[in-house]
Amino acid sequence: MANRKAQKADVLQGTLDLMVLQTLATLGPMHGYTLAARVEQVSDGALQLNMGTLYPALMRLEQRGFVKGEWGVTDNNRRARYYSISAAGRRQLAAERAEWDRMATIIHRLLNQEG
Amino acid sequence: MMTLREWMVRLVGTLRPSRRDVELEQELRLHVELVAEDARRRGSPSTDAVRVAAARLGGTTQALEALRDQLELPWLADGLRDIRHGVRVLARTPAFTLVAIVSLAIGIGANCAAFSFADALLLRPAAVPQPGRVVTVGATSATGISPMLVTSYPDYVDVRDRSTSFDGLVAFAEAAVAFEPAAGTPPKPAIGLVVSGNFFSVLGISPEVGRAFRRDEDQVPGRDAVIVLGHELWEQQFAADPQVLGRTVRLNGNEFAVIGVAPRGFTGFDVVTRYQFYVPMMMWPMITGDASRQPLEDRALRRLTIKGRLKPGATIEGARSELSVIARDLEREYPATGRNHGLAVRTELQNRVAQSPPAARLITLLGLLAAAVLCAACANVAGLLTSRAPMRAREMALRMAIGANRSRVLRLLVTESVLLALAGGLLGLGVGYGGILLFRQFRIPTDLPITAVFELDQRTLVVSLVVALVSAVLFGLVPAVRATRADLTAVMKATEAAGYGRRRTWGRWLLVGGQVAVSVVLLTVAAFVYRGFQQRFEAGPGFRTKNVLLMWFQPALVQYDRVETQRFFERLVESARLVPDLRSATLASYMPMDGGVGRVAIIPEGFQLPPGVETVAVPTSAVDEAYFEMLQVPVIRGRGFSQTDTADTPLVAVVNEQLAARYWPGQDALGKRFRVDTGNGPWAEIVGVARNTKYVSLIEAPMEFAYFSFRQRQQARMALFAESSGDPATLIAPLRQMVHDIDARQPIFNIRTFDEAYRMRAVVIFTIISRFVAAMGVMGLALALVGLYALVAYTVGRRTREIGIRLAIGARRSAVLRMILQQGMTVALVGLVLGLAASLGASTALAAFVPGGLQPGGGVDFVAFLLVGATVVAVTLLAALVPARRAARINPTDALRWE
Repeated sequence: MANRKAQKADVLQGTLDLMVLQTLATLGPMHGYTLAARVEQVSDGALQLNMGTLYPALMRLEQRGFVKGEWGVTDNNRRARYYSISAAGRRQLAAERAEWDRMATIIHRLLNQEG
Repeated sequence: MMTLREWMVRLVGTLRPSRRDVELEQELRLHVELVAEDARRRGSPSTDAVRVAAARLGGTTQALEALRDQLELPWLADGLRDIRHGVRVLARTPAFTLVAIVSLAIGIGANCAAFSFADALLLRPAAVPQPGRVVTVGATSATGISPMLVTSYPDYVDVRDRSTSFDGLVAFAEAAVAFEPAAGTPPKPAIGLVVSGNFFSVLGISPEVGRAFRRDEDQVPGRDAVIVLGHELWEQQFAADPQVLGRTVRLNGNEFAVIGVAPRGFTGFDVVTRYQFYVPMMMWPMITGDASRQPLEDRALRRLTIKGRLKPGATIEGARSELSVIARDLEREYPATGRNHGLAVRTELQNRVAQSPPAARLITLLGLLAAAVLCAACANVAGLLTSRAPMRAREMALRMAIGANRSRVLRLLVTESVLLALAGGLLGLGVGYGGILLFRQFRIPTDLPITAVFELDQRTLVVSLVVALVSAVLFGLVPAVRATRADLTAVMKATEAAGYGRRRTWGRWLLVGGQVAVSVVLLTVAAFVYRGFQQRFEAGPGFRTKNVLLMWFQPALVQYDRVETQRFFERLVESARLVPDLRSATLASYMPMDGGVGRVAIIPEGFQLPPGVETVAVPTSAVDEAYFEMLQVPVIRGRGFSQTDTADTPLVAVVNEQLAARYWPGQDALGKRFRVDTGNGPWAEIVGVARNTKYVSLIEAPMEFAYFSFRQRQQARMALFAESSGDPATLIAPLRQMVHDIDARQPIFNIRTFDEAYRMRAVVIFTIISRFVAAMGVMGLALALVGLYALVAYTVGRRTREIGIRLAIGARRSAVLRMILQQGMTVALVGLVLGLAASLGASTALAAFVPGGLQPGGGVDFVAFLLVGATVVAVTLLAALVPARRAARINPTDALRWE
């Protein structure tokens, strides 16, 4: 059980950063729940982000200077930490995205090779 | 991969936590609540919603844990927590901590001091880039005159041009000169180096001010009178003025233009002499003050030291084989001078050891003793830690039972050990500094900058740190491993009184026995050294030192030629005898015990020298007629010198008993002859045999020695010995006036009373060493005392209940006392016997450290054994008695309730 979870986290490790950055870049500042809900929604419920995965990832991105976290207030007046993408984050997103596209093309070509 | 930025943020996060747990928790809680609300909206029962949400999200606690790990650097955070915990644990048992720290401080301090001693005299590398690649090259001497590798200038040029193993070979020779910083100032003695033109560039030293020598400044003899000043001379004589460049200074009357200043810290290659200036090799003939020899042409005049920087990739073995080929070629090409001269290559360390084997032996001795003290200290702390082991084992078992893994627990214990070692090391630096202050009392009596530098510097600090960490491993690891290997349930159930292993105490008794043995060895060595030196001091050097004033002259420094020099010395001693209150005066080229004695090659008539050896090098002194009488060295056969022994009469010599007995055993040496200098040198006839004295050191083995008359073998440098009826210092002023009357320019060097010079040269070093060794002996004993006391006290503690029962069923208190005492003393006595046996071996080894042996008779000093034995028995008895008495006073009713 624990093993499978770890494996899942591993798979996510590389792509999670990309998803977070992309989401923040398109939808603007949001807190962790909105972010998780958005990812879940886009993936039709296939990706359910564990808190122990999502929040350390956010913290790591913040420590690297790609996102910025600030305390704010939600619509129904609750304190929440809002994350927004920084200029360095946008650069990182562009770079990672290009890399992802490149890899995806290669993998796609590899898998669909005919005879 | 962690980015640098992330690492920095996490480092700061570890050291100064900023985001509080509360905040992290708040963020997570909001998330859970929002998920739960969402679930409620979709219609799940509200009581379940939060629980379901939390479960789906993987649990707040785990997430929080992951966040905390992300916030800081986990290993650093753990380390800091371990340190805080360690400090708390150590602070809880201040007595244990104090004893452990003081023990370690003694061990580490002894090593710190011993290293500083070794560093000053042997180990400190030369202040050049990559000192390990610089080696010494030179001729091994067929005469054995010098233990150092020395070469002539023509040989140097050949070796330099033919060898390919080096990135350049430099040559240099020491030059003592009269130095005038400016015109009209009185000349002062100074010591510097004549160096080959590539000296600074090959060694990689760039001048602090100005420039080094150019290639063309070392091509034509006598043309380029340029000088690079040493940093210290520049500071002292020129107030570190950068405008010094282009100024003119005088060496032995010759003008030199200042072109540069050597960098701070570079003082040449000698361990004690700090050279004050550097001039090109081609200026050598101008400043030697000896016109009779041509140092740049004479292949037989071997004065140069050669150092080479090995090419990248070249090895010392490769250089050796290449140079042995070159040596054979030189031998063939110049048979007159090259015969029996090989070329050797030595590392800096090998060179220094060869230069002064007694110093190297002494350093080894002190190092071994210091290591023994450290072992005793570590044994102490290991013992103390083991006695806490049962208590700690329970704590560790508890930690492991609730999930800590073994390596984590081990780290906790190791952290404690390292903390102890570091605290001990810090205090040890203080102890070591005490040793260094003691060493610093050693001064070489001279006006020149010749001094051993004992420092508590970076190197010493690093070594002390390493010693501390090594000791932490020595004393900490074994108890730590044992404490964590224990069977959990057994440990948790065991009570301290019952204990859970007999072997543990066995180990401790062994440790304490070993400690006693080590302290016995330390003490006997200290006693041997102390009593041996004491006997030498009492026996005295064999000549008088009281009421004599010494002053040195070297007239060539003010451009006297040989004839003028001779006339000056004759006039000097004659005029001195006319000074009021002066009882007698004499001249000698060597002050006994001064070191660096001049040696002369001789070939004794009718004595078969071993094959390959053509001459033997004998230490000599050239003296005047009054020497033997004034220094009270009896001439036991024949006569001393007389004024009628002159340059025009046959050469005569006075030899000591040792020399006479060595080359003419069983015969009368009077009338025997030996050749001087070379196989076709002049014959010297022995006209007298003088009693043996000490010549270089109080602990030397009997040494061959020959005296010549200064009228027959002229000297460039001599000392005037003046005897007074009272305080010899009162002679200084009238003698100065007298010299001034002969020649106002004549410099006088190293004015000292003979007593003082003798004391500084011959006595102080032994006082220092015996104090240092004695201190180590006492420290070793103190450590053994503490170790034994702690162990007996610990045993009594563990046996309290048993003793209570014994007393309750009628045992007498004296029987209990005897029982405990017996246990302690058995170990002490076994240690004592082992230690004394080892000391017998040590005393043999010591004889190798001290030439001629510490005992004048060469036997073993049994008085020392007796003294040490008695002391150790008394001290250990005391250490065991105190806790044993406490055991005897145990109240049975209390003891039976004791848990």
